[in-house]
Amino acid sequence: MKKMMRVCGGLAVTLGLVLAAGCTSSPQPTPGSSGVKPSGEVVLWDYYGESTPLKDIVAKFSAEHPEITVKYEAYAYDAISQKFPVAASSAAAPDLATIDMTWIPQYASAGLLADLGSFSGGTLNGQPMQSAYSAGAYSAMQYDGHLVTAMMDFDAYALYYRQDLLQAAGLSVPKTFDDFVDVSAKLAKGEGSKRTQAVLMPPSVFHFAGALAREGGQMLSPDNTKATFNSAEGVQALTNQKRLLDAGGLYWGPDAGDYIAGIADGRVAMFIDGPYMMGVLKSGAADQKGKWGVATTPYSKQPGSYLGGTGLVIPTGARNGTAAWVLAQYILQPENQELLYTKSGAAPATLAGLARPALTEPDPYFGGQTPFAVFKDAMATAVAFPNTSAWAEISKSLNTAVESVYLGKATPADALNTAAQESDAALNG
Amino acid sequence: MPLSTASPASVGTLTMRPHRRRRSLVGLVLVAPVLLVVGVFFYVPAALSLYWSFTKYNGNTPPQFVGLKNYAFVLTDPQTLNAFGHTVVFALLSMTVGPLLGLVSALLLNLPIRGRVWFRNAFFLPVVMPLVVAGTIWKMLLADNGLINQLLGVVGLDHQWLTDPGTALYAIIATSVWQGFGFETVVFLSALQSIPFELYEAARCDGANSWHQFWAVTLPALRPTMVFVFVVGVIGAFQAYDQVYVMTQGGPLRSTETIVFLLVERFHELKLGPASAIAYLLVAVLATLSALQLRLGKEKA
Repeated sequence: MKKMMRVCGGLAVTLGLVLAAGCTSSPQPTPGSSGVKPSGEVVLWDYYGESTPLKDIVAKFSAEHPEITVKYEAYAYDAISQKFPVAASSAAAPDLATIDMTWIPQYASAGLLADLGSFSGGTLNGQPMQSAYSAGAYSAMQYDGHLVTAMMDFDAYALYYRQDLLQAAGLSVPKTFDDFVDVSAKLAKGEGSKRTQAVLMPPSVFHFAGALAREGGQMLSPDNTKATFNSAEGVQALTNQKRLLDAGGLYWGPDAGDYIAGIADGRVAMFIDGPYMMGVLKSGAADQKGKWGVATTPYSKQPGSYLGGTGLVIPTGARNGTAAWVLAQYILQPENQELLYTKSGAAPATLAGLARPALTEPDPYFGGQTPFAVFKDAMATAVAFPNTSAWAEISKSLNTAVESVYLGKATPADALNTAAQESDAALNG
Repeated sequence: MPLSTASPASVGTLTMRPHRRRRSLVGLVLVAPVLLVVGVFFYVPAALSLYWSFTKYNGNTPPQFVGLKNYAFVLTDPQTLNAFGHTVVFALLSMTVGPLLGLVSALLLNLPIRGRVWFRNAFFLPVVMPLVVAGTIWKMLLADNGLINQLLGVVGLDHQWLTDPGTALYAIIATSVWQGFGFETVVFLSALQSIPFELYEAARCDGANSWHQFWAVTLPALRPTMVFVFVVGVIGAFQAYDQVYVMTQGGPLRSTETIVFLLVERFHELKLGPASAIAYLLVAVLATLSALQLRLGKEKA
């Protein structure tokens, strides 16, 4: 019996030690350690979807860097927003990931994002990081004085329109907001959810932010302690959106899925979105080649859009951050930034990428127009979301506010005031 | 091998005690692996979560103790109270309609009708379907341009079942009832078939008609089964998440947010303190409800 107890006790201790060892993370290689060429496996998470250029870039990278094995994992945009914070705070973090720039404050404030300065030494492909980007982009890449992301693409909105339908109806491309309402009312057929040839109206904070910018409003106070989107300008912006929806819009709820379906089957004739939709249109509505055009979003006071984009981040829990930075730099090389545009229609974020020749070429899908020029203009007047860790909650409150107005359950003023109360609590909580 | 309890020392039992002690220790050793797994994967996380409920913690930086602040926030936060309200409605409706449908189906299947095996399988088939699959199917059926609206549109009764905040929650409840009442059917059917036939004979001899027999014989005999169905069903209803996630993501206008959906949202927002507080409040509510139901269901034979 005593012998049996000793054996069982030994087994229990051994099992406990094995479990404890399994719970600890393996030591990380020191970032930037000299004399050690980065190698090993790099796990890359990508939310770009079907039109992603990263698969092609990873294939080229693997041929040129056989010492680094890239394990590519694709996730839907919504899925990665839920998986990333959980994985990054556990032992399951990827080494490199594409994330929305609007998520940066929340993740950075939680300590999930590594300081890229420790991997980069302040340079990007041999060039000082600060001179590789515009001032606005470089600023957006920082949180609390640390460089937490390297921007891969930028996102600013413009108007996509079916030029063939407008021409058939004898209508011009709208330039002012009143034109926009008038054109949408004349172009759309049917009512409510059964409308076709309509303006796509998703109840999203991205579209509200653009409308707010076009009315000259601000999201938050300069010190990010108080919501100001419920100002007169904010109420006017949301009133305008509701007016557009009623005149000729098609409500596209959060559970309605990707709106390429509505574009492909003709329910949508106009929508406001970013340059990445060029790639989505080409792959999801290939039969509509030559029928689409791009123009500045119509406005009544001033041009404006939200400014966002995709950033490459290395989580603090990454196992192979040094090799991940090698891959990140490769992705941000000018020729690969150009691939971002030609493959997925996304706008390169680096200055060298923006200067590539493909961005100035006419696009046959858009009837020979050079669509990127429109987005470049939009970027000049675009406004980034406030850099606050409470942005995720503010964004949800605003989404609910816009949704309630679109569904006719609240007035713009009431909806925005409710969202402002919730946002103030989040900012000061 | 049952563990022995210590017996008073006596000359007669002194020679037995080492043997009993050996048996109890062997029993402990044999269950130790399971206890270790349960401890590591259940009790330790539960204890950690309880601790986190008293802290401000994002899962990465060290937790900061904040006392009862998270509980105070959760109990006064309008969004949390709304989600709790939706959950109560979900539980009340699904645990009224579901067991009722289950009982009626079981009574019908208990009759000597042709094809009852086929009907029994048909009722049970949705139960073996994952809620995610059931939710996806019904989301397509209830979509604005879905099959149900196409049929109802013929008579002008189409509606935005999932995009109208007034009907979205009930659409999800209907989906849950459709998916789950087959389980209640099978449970009630099994209980019905175990009721002694002599009880019905005796009732008939006393002049009871079908309704009297149902009220005086069937229902009392089904009482323990009903308690089981309600306890399990209420616990399940309070944990509603899959169908909400798949069908509406808590919308429109947060009208379908349930307490577990909100808990998971808080987790994704890296607010582990409030998320843990919600979890433990839910445990307290379910424990109270279960104890209440078991007490109400107790009846001396």
